[in-house]
Amino acid sequence: MPPSSSHHSKVSAAPAKDLGALIEQERLPASREDLPEPLVIHSQRERILNSMAQSCAKKGYGATTIADVCEPAGVSRATFYELFKDKEDCFHAAMELALAEAMGRIVAVYSPDKPWATMVRDAAATFLDLLATRPGFARMALVEAPSSGERAFELYASGKRVLQSLLERGRDDPVEEQAIPSSAGRAALSAAESLIVGQILAGNTARLGELLPDIVYITMVPYLGQEEALRQSRQAEREIAPADG
Amino acid sequence: MAQAGGEKRERWRPPRGRHRLPPEVIARSQRERLLEAAVRVVAEKGYGATTVADLTREAGISRTTFYAMFEDKEACFLAAYDSVAEALVRRIATAYEAEERWPQRARAGLAALLEALAEEPAVARLALVDVGAAGPAAQRRYRAALQRLTPLFEEGRDFAPGGRSLPANTSRMAIGAVAGLIADELAEGRAEYLPSLLSDLLFATLVPYIGPAAAAREVGGNE
Repeated sequence: MPPSSSHHSKVSAAPAKDLGALIEQERLPASREDLPEPLVIHSQRERILNSMAQSCAKKGYGATTIADVCEPAGVSRATFYELFKDKEDCFHAAMELALAEAMGRIVAVYSPDKPWATMVRDAAATFLDLLATRPGFARMALVEAPSSGERAFELYASGKRVLQSLLERGRDDPVEEQAIPSSAGRAALSAAESLIVGQILAGNTARLGELLPDIVYITMVPYLGQEEALRQSRQAEREIAPADG
Repeated sequence: MAQAGGEKRERWRPPRGRHRLPPEVIARSQRERLLEAAVRVVAEKGYGATTVADLTREAGISRTTFYAMFEDKEACFLAAYDSVAEALVRRIATAYEAEERWPQRARAGLAALLEALAEEPAVARLALVDVGAAGPAAQRRYRAALQRLTPLFEEGRDFAPGGRSLPANTSRMAIGAVAGLIADELAEGRAEYLPSLLSDLLFATLVPYIGPAAAAREVGGNE
């Protein structure tokens, strides 16, 4: 794998926080004796988590072996077992990392002062952009995690709950007053998720950003009604069009 | 192929030992038994923990017979998955076709789906939740099964005023909403409550096509 900033992500509990930027910029060589030890460990850990994500993307979590994870990361099995208890532990850590990054980005977009529709659209755009630039993590978090053991499922479910509560703020200022079921937000999220997962499985992860108008529509229509949701969707379409060039 | 999702475990088996059934009848029955066994065992043990030996034991066939029919566990599971999906889709379509107006057709199809899933919770879980654990090929089968419902949802465009101007992926997303709500319920181990999900599923199906006000009216009007 070529060194590239897109393969790196911040570890949530980084031992040496000030070194984070350096790690993001550059992939560290497998062994550099002149580097401080926490940095080497940090980098090894991160490379292992990345290759876990890459392997999940390629062959699925079930078929992934420790060797699949160690080899591309350039670490030994012994190193792997120093850092992680087993494959599941490693997968869980990779999921935590993915979730921390996703939530960090969404939180950065969130503001109680923004109109609800703007916030939902910005959050959706940010999320799609994150998935598109991290195909391994996208696959792991949305395709593998829901069916790879209880711990991973819990992380996946907690991420979904955060997005759901963000979306359901729409219920606070209803434009059309009618009895919509309490599951409407969860249903809309599942709709968006299903579309995204379909594109990931079809190998179109890099083009996930194109789904923004669809996702804007489906998440807004229960709360804002068809006319306004369509207007928002078309506006999102215009906004992403020039960015494609 | 299994006749219908509703058919239960106790299937007719050809007598063991010497008998005079034509070989193709025996092979067909073995294949059916094996597919049913695969669904049962995987639903119980999980895909990863299931072995070919589990499958042959449960189906009462030999390893040789197994490998004459399927290359490996995955191939067998995929065939089993397809037969489950096929039975579900057929059941939905039959109920759907029996009604006239699209919202009623949708309601009947969803009710049939929920009923079928509630009858066999383990199969339901396998079909909608655990299928992801069986690897990328199984996930694609799952998506393909969902997509077979697309024509039923697409009729919503003809029914809805302005349906043609809705986003391109509307039906995919509506199907995803329905599958997601069901999967959430199954993941919570609440299969027996599935039939009570009907209003929520109907709303999720209708809302992108006719908007929240009309969808709420359709949901409420027929209860």
